[in-house]
Amino acid sequence: MTDTDTNDIETDGGHAEAAGELEAGHDDGHLPAYGSLKRWLVTTNHKDIGILYLATATFYFVFGGVLALLFRLALVAPAESSATALLSGMAYNQAVSAHGLIMIFWFISPFAFGFANYIVPLQIGAKDLAFPRLNALSYWLYATSGLLFLVSFFQGTTYAGGWTMYAPLNVPVYTPEVGTTAAVLALLMFVVSVTVSSVNFLTTMHRMRADGLTLRNLPVFTWSILLTVWMMLFAFAALLAGLMILSADRLLGTTYFISTGGSVLWTHLFWFFGHPEVYIVFFPALGIMAETFQTFTGRRLVGRKWFIASMVLVALQSFLVWMHHMFLTSINLQIKTLFMATTIGISLPFDLMMFSLIYTMIKGRIRFTTPFLFSLGALVLFIVGGITGVFLGAVVLDYEFRGTYWVVAHFHYVMLGGGTALFAGLYYWFPKITGKMYDEFLGKAHFVVYFVGFNLLYFPQFVVWETPRRVFNYPPEFAIWHQLSTVGAFVLGLSFLIMFYNFATSYFDGADADGNPWTYATTAEWAVPSPPPLENFPGLPSYASGKLDFLEPTAAADGGSTVAETDGGVAHAEEEHVDHASIWPFAIGVTAVITALGLAGFRQGVPNDPTINPLYSAIAVVGGIALLVSLFAMGRETFVGPDGGFGEAWPFAGIENTKTGVWIFLASDVVLFGAFIGSYIFMRVAAPGGWVEWHGIVEDVIPGLMNTYILLTSSFTVVLALVAARKESRIGLVASLTATLLLGLGFLGNKAIEWNHLFHEGYGLSTGIEASTFFLTTGLHAAHVIAGLVITVYLIWRAWGGAYLGDDRPVEYFGLYWHFVDIVWLFLFPLFYIL
Amino acid sequence: MVSTKLYAAIYVVLFVGATAQVVVEFAGYVENAYWLAFGLIMVLSVFKAVVVAGWYQHLRFEPRSLSYLMLTALAAALALTLAAAYSIT
Repeated sequence: MTDTDTNDIETDGGHAEAAGELEAGHDDGHLPAYGSLKRWLVTTNHKDIGILYLATATFYFVFGGVLALLFRLALVAPAESSATALLSGMAYNQAVSAHGLIMIFWFISPFAFGFANYIVPLQIGAKDLAFPRLNALSYWLYATSGLLFLVSFFQGTTYAGGWTMYAPLNVPVYTPEVGTTAAVLALLMFVVSVTVSSVNFLTTMHRMRADGLTLRNLPVFTWSILLTVWMMLFAFAALLAGLMILSADRLLGTTYFISTGGSVLWTHLFWFFGHPEVYIVFFPALGIMAETFQTFTGRRLVGRKWFIASMVLVALQSFLVWMHHMFLTSINLQIKTLFMATTIGISLPFDLMMFSLIYTMIKGRIRFTTPFLFSLGALVLFIVGGITGVFLGAVVLDYEFRGTYWVVAHFHYVMLGGGTALFAGLYYWFPKITGKMYDEFLGKAHFVVYFVGFNLLYFPQFVVWETPRRVFNYPPEFAIWHQLSTVGAFVLGLSFLIMFYNFATSYFDGADADGNPWTYATTAEWAVPSPPPLENFPGLPSYASGKLDFLEPTAAADGGSTVAETDGGVAHAEEEHVDHASIWPFAIGVTAVITALGLAGFRQGVPNDPTINPLYSAIAVVGGIALLVSLFAMGRETFVGPDGGFGEAWPFAGIENTKTGVWIFLASDVVLFGAFIGSYIFMRVAAPGGWVEWHGIVEDVIPGLMNTYILLTSSFTVVLALVAARKESRIGLVASLTATLLLGLGFLGNKAIEWNHLFHEGYGLSTGIEASTFFLTTGLHAAHVIAGLVITVYLIWRAWGGAYLGDDRPVEYFGLYWHFVDIVWLFLFPLFYIL
Repeated sequence: MVSTKLYAAIYVVLFVGATAQVVVEFAGYVENAYWLAFGLIMVLSVFKAVVVAGWYQHLRFEPRSLSYLMLTALAAALALTLAAAYSIT
C-alpha cells in the first residue's frame, strides 16, 4: 500500500482513504511548467484540459452575458421602430441570436465538461482519458470554433435568425452574409468537437474504471456525465446532419430548406438534437447537485439507485419528445397528441429525482456552505422551470404560449436555473483544482446577489408573458416589468464580479486546501492531494477489497504489463511511460478554423448568382493543406496513452480501447447517415405527389450496380488484407490493400463519370430537391470513401515497411470503417437507383 | 476466426444479392407492383447489411454489447425517420 490515511471515508465505490499527506508536487515530466504558455498549447492531460475548458467557457459566458445586457438595455423601453431603439433591428437580432448560440453551445455544456474532464478520470480511477490527444483536439476545435463565431460579427452580420436557426430564414436568400455562413460553420466545428469528445468519454468511462468500481457503484456525478455523453453521441449526430445540409444549402446551392417540407425538416433535425440537449445541459448540473447534497448533508442520496434509474429513463425518453417543440408547425394532430403524452411522461422520473434530493436534505444535517447554497438554489429554480414547462407540453396551451416570453422565462429557469448548480461545482471543486480555499463569506454573498438577480431578471417575464419573443418592441404597459428585468440582469451579471474577486484573491492568498476539505465528501478525487499529481494516483486504484486502495505496480523487465501482489489484492500494472504532450491537436484546431473561415466566404450569391471570392478561396486552400499536414503529422507522431481494461470494463470488456472507440464512432455515423437518408425519405414523402410520384434524376441503374460490385469487392479485399496480416504475409497485405485502393478509386471514377453525365444532362445541385438529395447524400458517402482511401494509402506505406505483421489491429479497425461505408451504400443504391 | 473460403462464399452471396435487386427491377416489379418490389429490395439490402456486419465486421464473434450499440444507433435513426415522415400532413 502506498496510500496514507488522513480520513477514513465511505466512498460511492467503497471506502476511500484520503491521502492528505501525499506530496502534492507535480511530476510533470516532459510537460512545460504551468506558468509557460507552451504548456497550455501542448498539454493533453485531462486536468489541464479541464481547466482550459473552464477558463474558455467562462470567457464565452462573459461575452454572451454582455450581449444579454446590451439587449436588456434596449428593452428598458418599448421601441416603436428600430430607429428609436438602442440597438438597430439587425443589431438586436444578432445580439439575441448570438447570445442564445454562445450560451447554449459555447458556455454551458463546455463549462460542465471542464468538470467532466477534471473530475471523471479521478472518480473512476483512471490516469487520463482513453485518448488524451483526441481530448486536446476536442478542446481546440471547441475553442477555435468559438473564435470563428466571434469573427463572424465582423463579416457583415453574424447569425441573426434566432438560436434555433429555423428554415427558411437560415438560407442565403434571407441571410446572405458571409458572417452568417461563418457562424453556421463555427457551430459545425463545435459539433465535430463534441462527437470526438463523446467517443473519448464513453470509451474512458466504460473501459477504464478501477477494479471493483461497477456501474452500480459509480459516483452520481460520473453517472450524470456518462448519460450526458450517450445522449450527446446520438443527438449531436442529428444536428451535424442538419448543419451539413444547411452548409450545403448555403455554399453548394442545394435546395433542401427552400423546398416543400424543408422548413419542417429543419425543425425535426434540430429538435431531435434540441430536446436531448436540454438534458445534456442539465444532467451534469444534476450530478453536481447530487454530489453536493450528499457531501453537505452528510447523507447518502436517498433512493440512490432509483435516482440513477430515473436518469437512465430520462436519457432514453429524451429522444421521444422532440416534436413538442413543433406544435405550431404543420405536423398532424395524431403525432402532436402522441408527443404530448411522451412529454408529460418525461416529467415523472424528474419528480422522483427532485423528491430524492429533498428527502436527502430532510434525512441529513445540512451545512450551508456556498456549494450547497448554489445547489439548493438550482433545485428551487429548476422546479419553477419544470412546472412552467408542463404548460408548454400541452398542445392547446402551447398554441397560446409559444413565441412569447413565457417560453423565455421557462427556458432560463430550466437552463440557467439548473445551470446554477454548475457554479456550485465551481466552488465545490475550487479547492481540489487550485489547492486553495475560497472565501466562504464572499461565496455566500455571491449566491445571495446571484439568486436575487436571477429572479428579478426572469420572474417578471412570466408576469408579462404576452411580450412577443425575439422582438424589440412590446406594449407600453409592460415597461415596468421589463425595467425590473433589466435591473435584474445587471444584478445577476455583477454578482460574478464577487466570484471573480473571490477566486483571484483566494488563488494567490487563500488558505491551503487539504486533499479533502469537506468532511463528508465521499468520492475518489478527495482521496488524493489538492491539486492531484499529474497521473492522479499513488498506485493503481482498486475497489476490489470493498474500499479504495492504491495498489503498487511492479515494473517488468521488458516494460510490459505486470501483476503485483499487494496487501490490497492483485494489480495489473500499466506500462511506465505515458505521454502528456502534443502540439498537433492545437495545430489541427487552428488550421481547421482557418479552413472554415475560408469556406465561409469562398462562394457568395448561392444559388442564383454564385461568384468565387479569390481571397476566401485562397484562405480555404492554404488552411486545408495545413490541416491535412497537421492530421498526417499527428498520425505519424508516437504517442503512448493510458491502457484500459485494467479494472471494470462492462459492457466492453475484452474489446480494447481503440476498437471500442471505433465502434462508438460508427454508432454516431449510423445516426449521421440515418439523418441524411431520413431527410431524403422525409422530403420525398413531403413532395407534391408523395413518395411514388417522386422522379429521381438517375435513369440508368447500371452505374450504381457497378459501384455496388466494386464496393463489395473492396470489402472482400480488406478482409483478405486482415487475413494476410495475420499470416504475417507482407506481400499479401500490401497487395490486398493496394487492390482496395484501386477499387476505391474505381468507385470514385465511376461516380465522377456518372455525375459528369448528369451535369451534362442539365442536372446540378440546385436543380431541385430530387437532385439535391441525390448529390448530397451520395456525396457524403463519397467523402467517406475518400477518407477511407487516404487511410488506405497510409496503411500501404506502413505495410510496405513491414508494419502490422505482428499487430494487425490497425488493419482490422480500418476494415470496420470500410465495411460500414459499404453497408451504407447497400441502402443508398436501391433508394437512389432502383426505387 | 472463419476461413478465407467462407469469406469468399459470403462475397459471392453479396454479389448475387446485389444482382437480385436489379433483377427485381428488370423483371418489371417496380413498374407493376411497386410496394412488393420495394419490400423485396429492402429485405435484400437488410440481409446483405447483416451479412457484412456479422462476418466481415466480425460482429457475430464479438461481445453482444457491440451489436446492441449499433442497434441502438439504428433505432435512433429509424425513430427520427419514421416519426418525421409520419408527421407530414
